[in-house]
Amino acid sequence: MNEKTILGLNLSFLSGKQTLSLFIFLSVLILILIIAFSNGSFDFSFISLLKGETTHIEKTIFFEIRIPRVILACLVGSSLAISGACLQGLFRNPLADPGLIGVSAGAALGASMIIVFGSTIFSKFVLSTFLLPIAACIGSGVVIFLLFLLTKGFGHQGVTYMLLVGIAINAIASVGIGILTFISTDSELRGLTFWTMGSFGGITWPLLLPAVFIIIIAFFFLSPVLRDLDILQLGESEAKSLGIDVQKLKYRVIFTSAATVGASVALSGMIGFVGLVVPHLVRLIAGVNHSYVIIGSALLGSSLMVIADLLARTLIQPAELPVGLITSAIGSPFFLWLIFRINKA
Amino acid sequence: MSIYSEKISLKYNDKSILEDINIEIKKGMILSILGPNGAGKSSLLNILSGDIESNLGNVFYDNTDIKNISIQERAFIRSVMSQNQPIVFDFSVRDIVEMGWLDKGNIRYSNNINNAIIGVLNDCEIAHLEKRKFNTLSGGEQRRVHIARSLIQLWRESGNKDSRYLMLDEPTSNLDLSHQIKLMNMLKKLANDGVGILLILHDLNLAFNFSDYIAIIKNGELFAYDKPLNIINKNILEDVFELTFKVDIIDNKINVNYI
Repeated sequence: MNEKTILGLNLSFLSGKQTLSLFIFLSVLILILIIAFSNGSFDFSFISLLKGETTHIEKTIFFEIRIPRVILACLVGSSLAISGACLQGLFRNPLADPGLIGVSAGAALGASMIIVFGSTIFSKFVLSTFLLPIAACIGSGVVIFLLFLLTKGFGHQGVTYMLLVGIAINAIASVGIGILTFISTDSELRGLTFWTMGSFGGITWPLLLPAVFIIIIAFFFLSPVLRDLDILQLGESEAKSLGIDVQKLKYRVIFTSAATVGASVALSGMIGFVGLVVPHLVRLIAGVNHSYVIIGSALLGSSLMVIADLLARTLIQPAELPVGLITSAIGSPFFLWLIFRINKA
Repeated sequence: MSIYSEKISLKYNDKSILEDINIEIKKGMILSILGPNGAGKSSLLNILSGDIESNLGNVFYDNTDIKNISIQERAFIRSVMSQNQPIVFDFSVRDIVEMGWLDKGNIRYSNNINNAIIGVLNDCEIAHLEKRKFNTLSGGEQRRVHIARSLIQLWRESGNKDSRYLMLDEPTSNLDLSHQIKLMNMLKKLANDGVGILLILHDLNLAFNFSDYIAIIKNGELFAYDKPLNIINKNILEDVFELTFKVDIIDNKINVNYI
């Protein structure tokens, strides 16, 4: 087989149908981005912007508010979808979702700690914009590691076991966040409350760039092992007998999941169900091998999140809906359907 | 050329699972392991395949200690089918079989994956299932898909002299009688092509009629290890399985029945 690789991804495992699907996902994403750039509580004409016929205030709104916000939605959607696909592959569990199994809650706890304690400990720290996402990544990493221990190295433990562990971890994390809320000062509490509401509003370039950086690194760290993640589905011993260093593979996938969940939670709070719904949709469309599922999830996750955000900021203008409300409204019935489907099988 | 173990012992929580096992999978020979449930057969296979490490003793692949052979390198020497776990995602039969193709740009393999896969699918009589979802197959069909996957891992162009070994844990379970015989005949043919084969079996007649060597394990010890006819003639079976057997040997064909 000739090796076709683009940006470290081995594309020789994609079927014709999958390549076509990915191409369509990409076209849809571009279309949605154009719509999202030009619509909002302040409507633009894209053409007049390109022609340079815009006022100074329009330009500021466009480049400092609109674009960062849409890019953020894109990033959060793709990273939640990638982490969902990763965790489902790693745990060999179709119901693994960063929100359901407590990984997002771990990230939220990590981020909350920085919001409450960060200003006193690291007040003059140079890389302070990196602190929040890194703390969130550490939080999600700790939770995945905890799950690793509780499921005895991700051995196949059954679908329900992991969800029960997730409930417990979610509870522990909310206790932690509750304690932080209790001991925080008024201004810290204000920051914490705004952050936990989970919104894409108020994003600025300096806050956005560290997350972009983390997510891109995580993606390229994952891309060489996507085929190995397929083979892991046979079981650990089988994967090992097929020449795969299972331990190394797990660490890579854990790192990627932790980094993507951490970075997105740090920027937008906890947004549920994207990591569950998107990978399943992608699999239903053209197949289950991870080279396709991961890229497809990244593209489709971005599209869905940008749409959700567009709805959130335009449905009840001039007010805004929390975007998490919209993703949960779509995601929770899907979750129920998935449970019924798995029960039947 | 062979895979052999030297005095391997395995303990788990102070309980001895295997003790002092010396065994050899010779090139071109079929070695079948028999024994009661829990005797340590699968543990022995897992040690020989390198999946778990023994507490004492060593395993050698063609005279090289397995510790000095990387996990990737081992995959080119031997393929393994253990007692399989469920697969949660909807992979097709073709997808599963392709996973046995060690495509990492290694020149030891021909570029012609398609012919190789079609050949193996036909050998295992699953060509008609190629596009089906693995999860919708019956237990026996799934078993044959996994066997095909371990065969494709050992596939070489004709004339290739690499040493190759195949280790199958209860390959005949869930198979109907006709497929059991077809499988054993196919393994026999593979052995004639020079592949060394290790099987764990429960069916005494299959084991005695198709194997070149039989190893019987009881309570973690190698109870008997010899050619089939020698084991049958010494009435070893009764001591191992604690049953009375009636053995007929007609034209070198062994027929074992319990009474």
